[in-house]
Amino acid sequence: MSKNVRYENVNKIFGLGTKNEVHALKDISFTINEGELFCLLGPSGCGKTTLLRNTAGLDTITSGKMFYGDVDISTIPPYKRNIGMVFQSYALYPHMTIFENVAYGLRVRKVPNDIVTKKVTEVMELVGLQEELKRNPSPTALSGGQQQRVAIARALVYDPDVLLLDEPLANLDAKLRRYMRAEIRRIQKATNITTIFVTHDQEEAMAVGDRLAVLRKGIVEQIGTSDELYNQPNNAFVANFIGKMNFFNAHVIASNNEETVAEIDKTGIRIAIKKERRHVDPLVGDVVLVGGRPEYLSVSSEDEDDSIPGTVRIIQHLGSFIRYEVEISGEISPVTLEIDMDSLQKNIHEGDKVYVTFDRNRVALFSPEGRDL
Amino acid sequence: MSKKYSMIENGAETSKIKKFFQKDFSQVIIFAIPMLFLAVFLLYPMGITLLRAFWKPASYNFKFTGWSLDGFRQFFRTKLYLKSLRNSVVVSTSVTLLTLLIGVPMGYCVARVKIPGKKLLVSLGILPIIMPSFVGAYTWVILLGKNGILRVALNWILNPFGIKIPSIYGMFGMILCMTLTYYPFVFQMAYGAFSGANALLEESAMLMGAGKARIMRTITLPLIIPSLGAAALLVFVRAIGNFGIPAVIGGNNYVLPTLISFAYSGDGDINFSSSIAVLNVAITAIVLFVQKYIVSRREYETISSSHVEVKQHEGVGARVFAIILCLIVLIFSLLPQVTIIVMSFFKNWTGLLPTGFTLDNYISIPRKAHRELFNSFFLSIVATMLCAIFGSILAYITERKKPKGASLLDLSIMAPFILPGTVVSIALISAFGGNSVFKLTGTYTILLISYMIRRTPYVYRSVAANLTQLNPSLEEASTISGATWFYTFRKVSVPLIMPSIISGSVMTLTTLLQELSTTILLSGARTRTVPILIYNAVLANSLGQASALSTVLLIVVFIIIYAMNSRKGTNLASSMKM
Repeated sequence: MSKNVRYENVNKIFGLGTKNEVHALKDISFTINEGELFCLLGPSGCGKTTLLRNTAGLDTITSGKMFYGDVDISTIPPYKRNIGMVFQSYALYPHMTIFENVAYGLRVRKVPNDIVTKKVTEVMELVGLQEELKRNPSPTALSGGQQQRVAIARALVYDPDVLLLDEPLANLDAKLRRYMRAEIRRIQKATNITTIFVTHDQEEAMAVGDRLAVLRKGIVEQIGTSDELYNQPNNAFVANFIGKMNFFNAHVIASNNEETVAEIDKTGIRIAIKKERRHVDPLVGDVVLVGGRPEYLSVSSEDEDDSIPGTVRIIQHLGSFIRYEVEISGEISPVTLEIDMDSLQKNIHEGDKVYVTFDRNRVALFSPEGRDL
Repeated sequence: MSKKYSMIENGAETSKIKKFFQKDFSQVIIFAIPMLFLAVFLLYPMGITLLRAFWKPASYNFKFTGWSLDGFRQFFRTKLYLKSLRNSVVVSTSVTLLTLLIGVPMGYCVARVKIPGKKLLVSLGILPIIMPSFVGAYTWVILLGKNGILRVALNWILNPFGIKIPSIYGMFGMILCMTLTYYPFVFQMAYGAFSGANALLEESAMLMGAGKARIMRTITLPLIIPSLGAAALLVFVRAIGNFGIPAVIGGNNYVLPTLISFAYSGDGDINFSSSIAVLNVAITAIVLFVQKYIVSRREYETISSSHVEVKQHEGVGARVFAIILCLIVLIFSLLPQVTIIVMSFFKNWTGLLPTGFTLDNYISIPRKAHRELFNSFFLSIVATMLCAIFGSILAYITERKKPKGASLLDLSIMAPFILPGTVVSIALISAFGGNSVFKLTGTYTILLISYMIRRTPYVYRSVAANLTQLNPSLEEASTISGATWFYTFRKVSVPLIMPSIISGSVMTLTTLLQELSTTILLSGARTRTVPILIYNAVLANSLGQASALSTVLLIVVFIIIYAMNSRKGTNLASSMKM
């Protein structure tokens, strides 16, 4: 039976009481719904793997509580938690055949032989390895993608309450990775087991997860669907981690309940931003960031109204769109802008001076905190 | 209000007790037993020995004789004792240098020069260590003794240069024997290091324009220094602790182990023996620290993503040189084995050639040596099995669980590795001999204990090395699947570390079958082993009988090693590292 997973004020401190104390998880509280495919996303060192290992019980949390359904599992040892886990390295046993690898959890549970055979066959069909099961080789004789499937089958065979996936696609090549993430979603939906999927790849997380949690330095920055995170990021960090966001230094000129007017530094450009695009509660005079996704910006060789002058550094042809990397005055934005255009601007070359404009209805307002990853 | 509070308190209390019983205690118990064993049979005896070293020397007296420095005073005032200290240092230092001089070039030749039969060379290169070293010693007496065939031949060759082979009895003989016995340690490790080195490092140096000599000096050699340091230490420790070779051909040149043995079995003076033992350990400890100091600054993590084969020299000159070098070393170091097998079919070998062909040496074995044969195999096999269990569990605990005090545990396990066998015996006699509450001397028990204490490091090191290369997620995956710690250990960990358990056990079994230095002090009339019998036969000059028994041991040991080598994934060298 699938269960929800709930965290209540979970803290994890490594090396508690020593010089090298590391506060890896800070007051984590949220709930993963029954049958949900949930992604933990964040840069390395954000705490996502720590949270997963603590959910599994491979590490113990320093304080707080964790629940599977109504049961507090905070102190229950991992082997009594009834969970399935797929490791980044797959951790398949080289001294066993793939059948025995998959059957392992059933053998531990002393399941009779005939049921073991039946369940292993079923789960191997589910992951699409029925042909390989007939030959039943050692896992070392399989390809990376097949090993991955065996690892998933091994974690699913004993109907765990929760399935944990630790960067499961990290060891596959790009094409296989895209294919396998669709497969994982298909298998998860077929079994409807509550699943936690850890990854550092935002594209992967957005493609796979029902909902995502973005973590940074042990804190959950935002939880939501891919669409929510992309279109309504809570802060500059999430905005720039889920897709790319270009930021301009600005300050608030006027603000009321409905909208805020900000002026981009050194340009005199003023923009009115509606409250639903306002991710900060600004007072007049506050330093803020105006953020625009690459597709909301454009470049032109002609000086238009309210445009920012800059220099094209690199032009990348990325198939469906063209990316222009444009350097503008460091006081306006210290990092290079990324601007995506539908088609190649014939008269613009690398090194040319250009003028950047943006879609005034799509830009958003953020607090400057968390701008740098 | 207060009632409610106390109820909560009670609830917390019961859940605490519940938690206590829910905990997986198997690992705590499994941790406690070996610790207790080490405490009783290693730390306690060593402690007693250290104390006794500062008691007044006394013959046949185990009681407290009063504090005094007399033992050390006596040692440093007596010429014979001081000379034996000097002999020990000179012998072990020269042996260490000579083994490096032979082993490193040979390792390089086998690893990096294109020559045929490399596998065979490596296998033959390990043979000298698997023969009892004192057996090797008396074959050199046959070959290089007064009328020895080799002496006559070599003198005939070297005479025009004015060089004469010195007497085999004494320093020359000891250094020669030990060098030829111990060079395999250096050879095996150098071979492993040269062939396992990351070829990309050398290739990148070459692309940056470095010549062969420069690459050797700046890349290849610095990277293998830790391996060579470990091998050198191993040789030094063996050489300074060796009892058999000096006992057989030392003549009147005593070294510390023979001195300890004679001080105990001659005068029955356990306190004075302890003083010498402490001195012996002190030298080893100094060398150990120097080695650690030199090597610790050169410990490198080897970062290698892809495995590229190392380049081999293909020039004719290099190949001829390599083959000649390997052949000369192998022939000299394997001469003892050949001599023994030949000798075992003859009555005497005092002149150039053996005389009096006979099969009596073999026919008489069942009658004369049945008890010793039983003792040797019984003790070695039981001790090996205990070492295998003990060593792998200890390695697993220190490597995977990393309990508090893991480094102390590691140190206690590895300490006997550097302690000479005679020192361990003296310690055990100090603690469990004479009038002690548990008198164990002369029993099977004390032999098994001493074997375990001294040989557990083999399995321990070999398994620990294996575990560091094993991804912990393999075991975690089993835990996640619902397996308890013990189930995981049985079904996942043990099968995966089996190759290293086997190589460690083979090393243990083969060396135990030839164990002399501990057994000679600890065994009684009923617990004598084959090496003791061989040793006594050598002293009584019945070389035929000694050779026949040695040949039997040699064949048994060879079969064990051969059987292991044909198994995949086993590696003797991993159990020899410190």
